[in-house]
Amino acid sequence: MVRNRSVDHTMSGILETLLWGVANGCIYILLATGLNIIFGVMKLVNFAHGQLLMIGAYVAFTVSTAFGLNAYLSILVAMAAMALVGVALERLTFRRVLGTDKLNEIFVSLGLIYVFENAAVLLWGNKLKQIPNPLQGGGLLLDEVLIGYDRLLAILIVTIILVALFILLKKTKIGLAMRATSQRSETSKLMGINIEKIYIFTFALGAALAGAAGALYGILLPFNPGIGALPTIKAFAIIMLGGLGSIPGAVIGGLLYGIAENTAVYFLGGIWQDAVAFALLIIVLVIKPTGLFGEKGE
Amino acid sequence: MQKMFTQLLGSIERELLNFHQSEKLYFVLGAVAVGLVIPLVASEYVVGEVLTPMIIFMIYASSWNLLAYSGQGSLGHAAFLGIGGFASALIVIKLNLPPVFGLLLGGLFSAGIGLLIGLACVRLKAWFLAMVTFGFSVIIVTLISQFDTVIGGIMGFPTPLIVERGLPFYYTTFALAAISIFVMYLLIKSKTGLAFRAIHENEPEANMIGINIAKYKLIAFVLSTFFAGLAGGLYAQSIRYIQVSVFDPYYSFLPLMMAVIGGLRTIEGPIIGSVIIVTIDSYLHRIDNVLHGLMGPLFPNVSNVGPPLRMLSLGLFLVIVVIFLPKGVSSLLHKINNYFREETKKADNIERK
Repeated sequence: MVRNRSVDHTMSGILETLLWGVANGCIYILLATGLNIIFGVMKLVNFAHGQLLMIGAYVAFTVSTAFGLNAYLSILVAMAAMALVGVALERLTFRRVLGTDKLNEIFVSLGLIYVFENAAVLLWGNKLKQIPNPLQGGGLLLDEVLIGYDRLLAILIVTIILVALFILLKKTKIGLAMRATSQRSETSKLMGINIEKIYIFTFALGAALAGAAGALYGILLPFNPGIGALPTIKAFAIIMLGGLGSIPGAVIGGLLYGIAENTAVYFLGGIWQDAVAFALLIIVLVIKPTGLFGEKGE
Repeated sequence: MQKMFTQLLGSIERELLNFHQSEKLYFVLGAVAVGLVIPLVASEYVVGEVLTPMIIFMIYASSWNLLAYSGQGSLGHAAFLGIGGFASALIVIKLNLPPVFGLLLGGLFSAGIGLLIGLACVRLKAWFLAMVTFGFSVIIVTLISQFDTVIGGIMGFPTPLIVERGLPFYYTTFALAAISIFVMYLLIKSKTGLAFRAIHENEPEANMIGINIAKYKLIAFVLSTFFAGLAGGLYAQSIRYIQVSVFDPYYSFLPLMMAVIGGLRTIEGPIIGSVIIVTIDSYLHRIDNVLHGLMGPLFPNVSNVGPPLRMLSLGLFLVIVVIFLPKGVSSLLHKINNYFREETKKADNIERK
């Protein structure tokens, strides 16, 4: 994510920085929302969530290069593929440690990070790849600021996905069941909700969001098997910023985060990019552990 | 602090009184004897590159395990390994002190930083602590790069040695490891250790019976970072050179893997885990060529399938251990030991009849 930029602190430079921030923030919002939903319903944290993003990017890359599918349609394929991976993960690994020691979830996700990263190396190699994008280079020229179509479209796609998700959670029966499980899993069981199925669905949904984030990442930025770790932490910072379990909070947190990161890079230099996430994370955790919009700290 | 010290003395006394009766003593003496004799017959390369790191990682993994006793997990222990390494070397170089002080001061410096991080983190749930510690290990790289003119961490620099490399360094490390692990053992057996375990088992209940949770979590954090820093100082000396690469996430995952695979929350777990992981790390790459010959054609995108395949298996191994053998390899050894004891008992009974 290192970009060449002439260091001129002008208005147009700042505008471009903001746009980058929002576009990057969008990717992290998707990832953070997935983590947030899984955490909300299952009280489980999957530290390998960023690796799902990485695999999603590779799936989209493969279908769009090998089968010539349009880059934006490949997002759907990535989502479907990651949903399946999510089901398998939930069934084979996390299900078995759920409810035991909390540290076990961390250990399992760490093992999974190794598995996914090295599987990606084996299947796709170590070189940087990028999904061929029909909109590459095109954009609106506003006051000497180039607003890339690809970035605008990314923002639009994330908005559509989030609206769809919102409708799913608030207006459908399964959304109601998910919200019930997230509040009182034992009581929802008594109310006739099959929480096993809700868990599988939730995990698949979260993984699919990570897949979409991965495909968008691959369209906007070059990627390799090692990109997964940092987005996980950034998604965590966003969740903490926005408040645990709050989806609107994650959206605002994601935008704030993306802008903060790009502004820090712009003014302080590239090496600060990753440190920003942690500085924010630690500051928020120390000052207000429930986040800016947190409903209730876990 | 003083109370803790008297507690420690108390548990030393208790342990010494009970020690000669239990068969634990034979295991410990056996392990120490093996550790003392093996380097005499091993080659110089094995002593320097395999056995010494193995012993150092025993301290490091045990320090991680100490934290786990109190129910906390760190994903960024490399930060403290690295801080210990850098501090111990820099203190010696800049202040012209004898290297022995460097080791101790490096550990103390790491514990000081650990205290600051711990103060911010003890209230956090497991996941957030994991995230913050991981985050800290990334920030520290940025900080060290930022102050490179003073520290010189990007290019790295040679570290001053306490004793000559080879056998003398091995035995020094061995002695320090034995002392460190013994201290951790006594700590776990003391009242402080009991409080750690109570907090891990059930935090609200521990709180209810009057255990100051924040205090004990902080104690665990500070002690753990002290030993991690000590291990870092030794590690920097054993590889002769220290660089920011010591903060690589790989070094954060190592102690976790060792403790979990060996047996979490057991004193012997990190020791067994360190033996397993360092042995795998040092010798398994020899089968890379065979692996590549077998599997290479399947994966045309990689020049050598060995390393990713080995790492993948390590990850899978960790997942499998957590799911199917949650108490690690040490529990397996306990089972085998118990089985043999039962068998000998049966044999005794038959003879008596």
